[in-house]
Amino acid sequence: MQVFIDNKPYEVQEGMTIWQACMQAGIRIPSLCYMKDVSGNASCGVCVVEVKGAKSLLRSCITKVTDGMEITTNNARVLQARKMNVELLLANHPLDCQTCERNQRCELQQITYDFGIHERRLPRTRPRQLERDYSSLSLIRDPEKCILCGRCVAVCKEMQTVSAIDFSGRGQKTKISTFMDMGLGLVDCTNCGQCALVCPTGAIVEKSHVNQVWEAIHDPEKVVVVQTAPAVRVGIGEEMGMPSGSLVTGKMVAGLRRLGFSKVFDTNFTADLTIIEEGNELIHRIKNNGKLPMITSCSPGWIKFIEHFFPKSLPHLSTCKSPQQMFGAIAKTYYAEQAGIDPRDMVVVSVMPCTAKKYEAQRPEMDGAFDYWKKKMKLTAEDRFYDVDHVLTTRELGRMFKEVGIDFRSLPAEDFDNPLGTSTGAAVIFGATGGVMEAALRTAYEILTGETLEDVNLTAVRGMEGIREADININGTILKVAVAHTLKNARILLEQIENGTSPYAFIEVMTCPGGCLGGGGQPIPTNTEIRTKRAESIYAEDSHKFIRKSHENPEIKYLYDHFLKEPLGALSHDLLHTKYVERKV
Amino acid sequence: MDTLTPYVVEEKVLDEIVRKYKGSPGVLLSTLEAVQEANPLKFLPQKTLLQVAKKLNVPATQVYSVATFYSFFNLKPQGRHTIVVCRGTACHTKGSRELLNSVGQILGFRYEFDETEPSYTTPDNEFTIRTVACFGQCAQAPVVAVDGVIHSYVNAPKLLKILKKVKSSSYAKDQSK
Repeated sequence: MQVFIDNKPYEVQEGMTIWQACMQAGIRIPSLCYMKDVSGNASCGVCVVEVKGAKSLLRSCITKVTDGMEITTNNARVLQARKMNVELLLANHPLDCQTCERNQRCELQQITYDFGIHERRLPRTRPRQLERDYSSLSLIRDPEKCILCGRCVAVCKEMQTVSAIDFSGRGQKTKISTFMDMGLGLVDCTNCGQCALVCPTGAIVEKSHVNQVWEAIHDPEKVVVVQTAPAVRVGIGEEMGMPSGSLVTGKMVAGLRRLGFSKVFDTNFTADLTIIEEGNELIHRIKNNGKLPMITSCSPGWIKFIEHFFPKSLPHLSTCKSPQQMFGAIAKTYYAEQAGIDPRDMVVVSVMPCTAKKYEAQRPEMDGAFDYWKKKMKLTAEDRFYDVDHVLTTRELGRMFKEVGIDFRSLPAEDFDNPLGTSTGAAVIFGATGGVMEAALRTAYEILTGETLEDVNLTAVRGMEGIREADININGTILKVAVAHTLKNARILLEQIENGTSPYAFIEVMTCPGGCLGGGGQPIPTNTEIRTKRAESIYAEDSHKFIRKSHENPEIKYLYDHFLKEPLGALSHDLLHTKYVERKV
Repeated sequence: MDTLTPYVVEEKVLDEIVRKYKGSPGVLLSTLEAVQEANPLKFLPQKTLLQVAKKLNVPATQVYSVATFYSFFNLKPQGRHTIVVCRGTACHTKGSRELLNSVGQILGFRYEFDETEPSYTTPDNEFTIRTVACFGQCAQAPVVAVDGVIHSYVNAPKLLKILKKVKSSSYAKDQSK
């Protein structure tokens, strides 16, 4: 069908919104609430256009095109209305941009600038200052900065089926609330941080650990080691102004070294370790009639989700800690011993694409290394330390680079330190949905068959479909596996398990869309196109690796020979495996 | 308020209400309304909200969202008598602000009535006081509703009389029990 946009004719598809039609015509209509694949509840009123025959201005994000529609996107009436709607939002929004976490990354700030608004013209209407919510270990909410666009509510409800937050109150008193305004830390929030990723302002941000990390780095008594998650190497480039999905592993390592970390290690090392433990756990469960399907346990948002919503299914979870936590436990035992460092003086920092990892690191049971040393060193409760001390998001790392003026683009590529920096292609794909499954199968196949897996590219479990399944032929026995990302899809697989119809032996679940590469700690914006680019880089890194199976990692072999002794052994049990709890709202 | 033991509707009663409305459109609203009615203190305690969420299989935040959106729902225990002072324009010009403060003085609030709060209940749980934007009785301003009955041309002495009357009637009721 044909429409006219600003007097020019365009061919458009039926069912399109005016916003989409204009986008196709090269006009990006400003908006603060509409977000592709996330939400469009027409709350901000910034995207209005004039349509011939319509009495009032129409919101382009929800109005469908009709044949012959005459749309005006640029006249005095339209621009004045848009400007007024932004000014109304600014009446209650604090003008403290310089000290805001989202400074220069804020859609409201950008639109205010673009619209040429130079003062707060309208008086405040909200009677009271709204309190910040500091209750969560991962996220901070500031309702004063909220413009009630509803994106966070939409991702939490639609994408994650968690609904930890919703609108409360009415009129001027409307705000985003948790149940009974208890605070995010006290309700069923999974800490996934997708809300922070879609928020157009600074109303939801991660709880920053940057200050604690600087303090540790500048403390001469401390040995500060850093680990980087697989998805950070395809995200941090964006934060430093490079194109989406830039693969910058070597520059990232070089940058971390310049920040002053004693050793730059890789979470990929313990991703390989996870595969050995988890692969053997799967085989053990299959051979001994254990609980199947077994479900992966790397994604801390997912763990909290199942603890809240499907506690009956907890025995299906692999008991393996996530790679982040395995790293902390190994660094403060094996590596501390090897390097002769008092574990109390070691600070483990992780850089994660994730906000839930901040919560995971502070789960009370995540102190395996302390338990290990307690008897040996006669430690008391006062000495207690966590395996992982501080967790930075990709965004926070970007800020640290900028704070000290590192010219990221011109950094040389450097290698990770040994021994906890050696990894395989199987580890890097942990960063993409389906990656843990693929990595586990590469190893499980060879252990079970005793044969070499010729083609390691198990493309059936790759991609961006919400749920993917595959049949893996192992010595004539078919192993049915499934991969799900976002909690909406995880919920479908769990419901199958609880009603007894799940046909699978092994399931991988990732909390965020696209897996960790689309995590709540990744650069803003993150959208479908950007996630696809990051995934391409992840698989490129895998294909360029010389070793692509976790059990062939020489440092992992050495770790077992000289420290852990055997997979699922006593020491593994103490340091690398964990337990889960039932949680209520 | 501390002297009150918040009353929670029994699970049995709750189940009956849920059964009655299950499947009907607007089930959450009807259920919350009936559950609040079943509560002698005419409010929805946290435990009840959670139970309704679970029984109707909707997120607890959504129940909270609905319960805070409609002024009909109370999250705090309500007094035996409800006084609603109209704060519409006509009533305002006829002195409803002063009237509101008089109510406060009569009932013994320590502070001025704060209009950002939806309601205030006396510690003895006898009276709950609320405001409303307009009753549509502007010709007889200022108006005050006491237990659903609208009184017109109200001033402080008249209000005092009305309140004394409702209080003594509930006292008489208590005595006759």
